Amino acid sequence: MRITMAAAGLAGLLVLTACGSGAEPAATGPATLRMTIWTGNAEHLSLLNSIADEYKKTHQDVAAIKFDTLPIENYTTTLTTQIAGGNAPDLAWILENSAPDFVGSGALAPLDNLVQPEQLAPATTKLWQQEGKLYAYPFSTSPFGVFVNLDLLKQAGQKPPKAGWTWEQAVAAAAAVNKESGKAGLVVRDFDYKGWDNLATVWGGWGAEAWSEDGKTCGFAKPEMVEAMTFLHKAIFTDKALPAPGTTADFFAGEAGMTITQISRASLLKDATFKWDLIPLPTGPKGAYSVIGQAGIGVIKKSPNAAKAADFLSFLSNPDNSAKLGQYFPPPRTQLLTAESLGKSNPLLKPEQLQQVVIDGISTGRVKPSHAGQAELAQTVRAQLDQLWQPGADVTKTLAGVCTAIQPMLAK
Amino acid sequence: MRRKTLLYGVLCVLCVPFVFPTWWMVTSSLKPVSDIFAFPPSLLPGRPQLEAYRQVFELQPFAQQYWNSLYIAAVVTVGTLAVSSLAGWAFARIRFRGSNALFLVILVGLLIPSEVTIVPLFRLFHSAGLTDTHWPLILIPILGAPSVLATFIMRQFFLALPKELDEAAAVDGLGRLATFWRIGLPLARPAVGAVAIFTFLHSWNLYLEPIVFLSTPERFTLPQALTQFVDAYGGPMWNVQLAAASLTALPVLVVFVVAQKQFVEGLAHTGLKG
Amino acid sequence: MPDRTTWWTASRRDHLVGYAFVAPQLLGSLLFVFLPLGLVLYYSLHEWNVLADTFEFVGGENYRQLLADPNVPKVLGATALFSVGLVVFNLSLAMLLAVLLNQRLRGTVVFRTLFFSPVVVSLVAWTIVWGFLLQSNGGVNALLQTVGVEGPNWLRTGTGAMVSVIGVQVFKNVGLNMVLFLAALQGVPKELYEAARMDGAGAWTRFARITLPMISPTVLLTSIITVAGSLQVFAQIAVLTQGGPGTSTTVLVYYLYQQAFQFHHFGYGATLSVLLFVIVLALTVLQWRMRRRWVFLEA
Repeated sequence: MRITMAAAGLAGLLVLTACGSGAEPAATGPATLRMTIWTGNAEHLSLLNSIADEYKKTHQDVAAIKFDTLPIENYTTTLTTQIAGGNAPDLAWILENSAPDFVGSGALAPLDNLVQPEQLAPATTKLWQQEGKLYAYPFSTSPFGVFVNLDLLKQAGQKPPKAGWTWEQAVAAAAAVNKESGKAGLVVRDFDYKGWDNLATVWGGWGAEAWSEDGKTCGFAKPEMVEAMTFLHKAIFTDKALPAPGTTADFFAGEAGMTITQISRASLLKDATFKWDLIPLPTGPKGAYSVIGQAGIGVIKKSPNAAKAADFLSFLSNPDNSAKLGQYFPPPRTQLLTAESLGKSNPLLKPEQLQQVVIDGISTGRVKPSHAGQAELAQTVRAQLDQLWQPGADVTKTLAGVCTAIQPMLAK
Repeated sequence: MRRKTLLYGVLCVLCVPFVFPTWWMVTSSLKPVSDIFAFPPSLLPGRPQLEAYRQVFELQPFAQQYWNSLYIAAVVTVGTLAVSSLAGWAFARIRFRGSNALFLVILVGLLIPSEVTIVPLFRLFHSAGLTDTHWPLILIPILGAPSVLATFIMRQFFLALPKELDEAAAVDGLGRLATFWRIGLPLARPAVGAVAIFTFLHSWNLYLEPIVFLSTPERFTLPQALTQFVDAYGGPMWNVQLAAASLTALPVLVVFVVAQKQFVEGLAHTGLKG
Repeated sequence: MPDRTTWWTASRRDHLVGYAFVAPQLLGSLLFVFLPLGLVLYYSLHEWNVLADTFEFVGGENYRQLLADPNVPKVLGATALFSVGLVVFNLSLAMLLAVLLNQRLRGTVVFRTLFFSPVVVSLVAWTIVWGFLLQSNGGVNALLQTVGVEGPNWLRTGTGAMVSVIGVQVFKNVGLNMVLFLAALQGVPKELYEAARMDGAGAWTRFARITLPMISPTVLLTSIITVAGSLQVFAQIAVLTQGGPGTSTTVLVYYLYQQAFQFHHFGYGATLSVLLFVIVLALTVLQWRMRRRWVFLEA
């Protein structure tokens, strides 16, 4: 075939461009640092740029710091493509679901010159550590809470729920809203029967987890998970407290009684036409719990400017700049986690809401499930769980099937 | 008369799945963000506002990005026409050794999805120092897989022209290049129209390549710019995105309305034979 | 075929001119299609972990994995179903629309534009709104209910999800094929129909015996374009089904994308690319061979 001949003829060119590895030599002279981020928001960018300008004043060895926005829905994919293509950034924002991949693979350089690292709340750094070293600065830690549409609940004859409420009460109230108004009761936002990791906000109440702490053993078939999922299945298909698969309802458009989501979504309530409240997640049989979503900033190890990048990151994350970033992203530093300082940046939330959901949430929160090879695990679990989301499904059997499918990947 | 009414009825019903999403896009861009995902979607914005359109230009160098998309698509269209009409003419009307085999080899590129070659192409352009420039977005479509479709269309069109053309040209003493330039190309106007529409739209809608190759907002193209409208927490600002999407779609639609008659009828008169 | 008659100089000049004319296209293909494909072949013999920055030669390991991968047969099945469904639905709808618009009616320009408009709409906006319409309580089922049909839960059942991703893709792009068909239809000489009518041929016979053979070159062209398009779906599946339920809508390109870009298995992704390339090659050769069989006017 001509094609094979053509391919063979190009062998020389292949070798030139093919080699995947090999760190570039350390650069000399003033460096240009590049940091990939997923926000294109003008206020964020101007804050980041002002911090960068201030840094450059005292650091002649850094000529410029560039912030590259990649679209959030393919952020990790685009970042990996750039790395694969030999154009890795010096610093990168990292989403929580790819944290174990980045931390565990050795792609990031350890951060051992952060300013006052002892101030970082332990719950916020857990995901980003390996063998006692921190590999990314968790600049954004956003807890999950329950937003409640007080008007819809009142209409259904339900009292406004308060912190310390239980899952039974939550489902009863949600079912009542659905029965009374025909609208959705409780929506686990971004779950939509695909993004199952958001269900950690439910099964946490039963003490269940997707996999063990060390990531080696599947947790889906454990009794507490079966119990939690049986409860959830009944809430969906019997009590009709949650919208069934294939139906959407947007809480922020006033179509659901309650929604479980990250507090940062409060901004969508800026011109809400209904009365609302934000309260902590309901308690389950195992008591109170909280769940957080996170994002970190890491230094790419193979960058020729890794040392300079790490130095800039310690400047970016020092207490002063942490406070500035805290205007937009809930910070990990304990002294900034007060209702007063958070209130300035979250004018829509009351001090009590901030204390109960944000501050208590961050200090006790568990991060959503994540694991090395998260994308593949997530996809496999999603495909298996599809059998669960129909009336009359065999919960125990389906969950056992999930474990059969993912145990080999976890054991790797 | 009854037959006509029936035909209109059928056409109107068939229109629904085509028109509704466009309608939703345009009307949603006029709604406040909290109303967009109301279910069932409302057909008319309750409180129409142009705020989103103002923000489109405020939050991104949108005019610059519009220009980028426009000039890249124009250059790609002209370049593709040059490359594909030459190749199409040769494959259809010049007898040279191995032409069929070569055509078949080129045809393979038609069916290669861009996901397959994006990583090696990225390495190639990166080693040439051409990432974060418009070169990859121009060179790949003109010379790579996307232009194969254009060559294919041109070849099919030139095959349909009568053989006598070449003889007449030879009698007039025209060389190969002159025959192509003075006779072939003017006759090919409808095929050129078809290729231009395909090529322009392909470049205009290109998504994967820009997000992989470009990193400076001033150099972004439109489909990439659409993803940049996010709020303070990284959530998409849907009304602004949809406003930008509407601004992206409408001009192309207008060009189609103006150009379609000539394009369809031109193709019809001369035909596209295989 | 090379011309071996007496005026060999002219024929040699023809060869040179021919090569010169196709040179840009050919060199472009070598540089931007075949060189990258060669690199993909090379990557497929390696284990490439981008994050850990390791790139090791593993020989045929990825190919062994390909043969043992329980997902591959399912993915190939879904791909075949998707491509065939897409081509059939797209071409028949395009043909139907073209025939309807080819009746001498006032206002066809308006309809033509409406049917074409999705082609220029942002794919993301298009997919999102269809995601809404296809909910079990969504617009499609509401419409079906008015004619007394209980619609399925489109995106949550295997068949429904496949029909949905095909439909969403077809409505988006059928306008292009429709325009090409319309042009072809208008090029069919009217006298042929007159003659057939005198012979007493019905509407269907006229369509099957005259229209179809006369426009067969366009059918070939559009089917090639559509098959090519069927290998480029991505956003639709990512937004609407993520390849589910189960793996029912995981087509080869989506699976390849997942393995390479989401799961970071670049080597295995490259192996899947090689598989895709082999399929594409077979399809191209097949289409090329068949063109003489079913195209009426082969030059």
